[in-house]
Amino acid sequence: MSALLSGTSIVRNYGATPALRGVDLTVDEGEIVAVTGPSGCGKSTLLHCLAGILRPDAGTVTYREQNIGLWSEAARSRLRRTEFGVLFQFGQLVPELTAVENVALPLLLAGSGRREARGVAAEWLDRLGVADLAEQRPGTMSGGQQQRCATARALVTQPRVLFADEPTGALDVLTGEQVLGEIVRVAREHGTAVVLVTHASSVAAYADREIVLRDGVLDPTGLGLGVAR
Amino acid sequence: MRPTTLVRLAVAGSRTDRLRTVLTALSALLATVAMLCAATVLSITDYAERYTNPLLIEPGLRPGVAATLILVSLPVLALAGQCIRLGAPARDRRLAAIRLAGATPGESVLIATAETVVAGLLGSGTGLVAFLVARRLLDRPDLYGQRVLPTDVLPPVPVLVVLVLLVPVLAGVIGAVLMRQVIITPLGVVRRVRTRGPRPWPGLLIAAGIGLFAVPGQLGEQWNMSKNTVYAFLGSGAVLTMAGVVLGTAWISYAAGVLLRRYGRGPVTLLAGQRLITDPWNGSRTMAGLLTAVIAGAVALAYRELLATEFRYYDVYNAMMGWTDGGMGAPDEPEFYYGAVRLVMVAVALASVVAAAGVLVALAESIVARRRTYAALTATGVPRRTLSAAVLLQTLTPLIPALLLGLAAGDALVRLILSEKPVGNEFRECVAAGGGGCEAPLHPEMATVLHVPIPWGNLALLGGGALLAVLVAVGAGLLVLRASTDLEELRAS
Repeated sequence: MSALLSGTSIVRNYGATPALRGVDLTVDEGEIVAVTGPSGCGKSTLLHCLAGILRPDAGTVTYREQNIGLWSEAARSRLRRTEFGVLFQFGQLVPELTAVENVALPLLLAGSGRREARGVAAEWLDRLGVADLAEQRPGTMSGGQQQRCATARALVTQPRVLFADEPTGALDVLTGEQVLGEIVRVAREHGTAVVLVTHASSVAAYADREIVLRDGVLDPTGLGLGVAR
Repeated sequence: MRPTTLVRLAVAGSRTDRLRTVLTALSALLATVAMLCAATVLSITDYAERYTNPLLIEPGLRPGVAATLILVSLPVLALAGQCIRLGAPARDRRLAAIRLAGATPGESVLIATAETVVAGLLGSGTGLVAFLVARRLLDRPDLYGQRVLPTDVLPPVPVLVVLVLLVPVLAGVIGAVLMRQVIITPLGVVRRVRTRGPRPWPGLLIAAGIGLFAVPGQLGEQWNMSKNTVYAFLGSGAVLTMAGVVLGTAWISYAAGVLLRRYGRGPVTLLAGQRLITDPWNGSRTMAGLLTAVIAGAVALAYRELLATEFRYYDVYNAMMGWTDGGMGAPDEPEFYYGAVRLVMVAVALASVVAAAGVLVALAESIVARRRTYAALTATGVPRRTLSAAVLLQTLTPLIPALLLGLAAGDALVRLILSEKPVGNEFRECVAAGGGGCEAPLHPEMATVLHVPIPWGNLALLGGGALLAVLVAVGAGLLVLRASTDLEELRAS
């Protein structure tokens, strides 16, 4: 059976600076893969290429046997709001919208009605334990609460793959553990594959498999930060 | 995306976003009212003795009145353009967050444009209502059935519809064009920056504009031009000249920045010079409305001198011929013509005030956009007065040469119509033509050449007034700088 998502010989440069120098990676249905490595090794760039946010300079990114690198920006955006969920460290919620509106946003953009979208969004907020914050704006929430809302938004469309880039990087250790535990729990409940970028060993330990990047290439020793389960 | 979602996302915003919406709507309202008034004046037909105002009675003067009203609407439209940029960084961040949630690039531009169009529609719709209400309230014919204003005339409905839609559509197009400079990605916002400095090619536009303006005067009779052709030449010449001056301000800014960097001493010239080099087009954008008003004002002032020379010509000619009563006479009411020029100057003054408001909006926007940098500079020990002086210098350095250029261009345009008028040639021409009845002048020694003077004093007043308006705007803008250099800004997101 072919992988759900795969990257083959991915190359990506920023001007004359290489970020990725031929990376291969596969992600299966429901699998949680941690991408680890030191700062500046290309972890986030790899995640952005896999999520279709960046287009690789060379190599292919295949989702369900389709090369999404050939798709238009608009088509990749639509893919992100239906099949993919994206979770960053911070700055992903629209500050002017309430929590429930933020979570409902992907559904609204996809054409759902307001009432229906808000209903689904409220359920997801409840699942993440922040139902009581539904009408609050991100500016009035703590970092952990914001990240729970962002997780709800990333999962509200029930994506096949969740891309999480240092999702607990801005949180204290305890809150980070709680949020990550919830991300993994909800992802496993829904069979969502997760690509998790981190440089924290405690975070990598949640993954089924860990790959290590160094200087834009996979570390052949595979000696990462966490212990793959 | 459903229309309700589009509207919700378009109107979602902070206090600055709401201020932008209100100012855009207000600009749209003013511009729409001015254009509706112009259309109403143009809807009057024939010699209209039912009005008390001679500017409305004479068919030949009404296009001038309409043009004056449109002149007022130009800086208002420029103000709307400035308002669209207000709070742009926060809006761009919001759009990036929406992109991350799955919006396509087209949808994010649509959301940004929808906000502008909604604000524009709100403003122009209110403008139409205000116009119709005012028309009813001001419709007060006197005992003879005469009116001061054309409240008995209404432009055709299709014209009304077009005018009400014009401003929102224009604002939407401007907004969409401005969004082309911004690449909104899920990771954030990237602004396209022109790396090459502006070139002095707008000088060619000014030359072409002056050239076109000169054609009717030089070749009008030879080519047997119709009145409309003459207007087309004059209009396109004036527009090209204005565009040249406005676009040329970018080159002036860039050149001034380079000079400040090269020869300036101290942090003020360094900061101001580098800012001018980095964004030379800011001067063009910010000053467009003001420069347009100044050029129009210079044309009006120069035209006033032309009229005065024409009147003087009749006086000298009659004295030379020894005619003490009647004779070749100036119009009975020269004051009427001067009054028309004064009306244009009132419009120019109004336009300058609106344009100065646009300068204030642009200045506040540029300071707010760089508030973290300013706060960081203050934190590292740069005095606030240094930053204030840099802002003042970067505004005035391109403005003063641009104002001089605008005044010179405006005066030059009228000078092409007439710069001197000889008195006393008529007798010689009559004799040379072999016609009979050529009356010899009683005082041939009075033959002379009348030169149309340059209205130095009035031009200085106009330029000084424009400069003063900008200084007031900059002064108000510096209040924003004070708040923006608060060290709390470094803690705010």
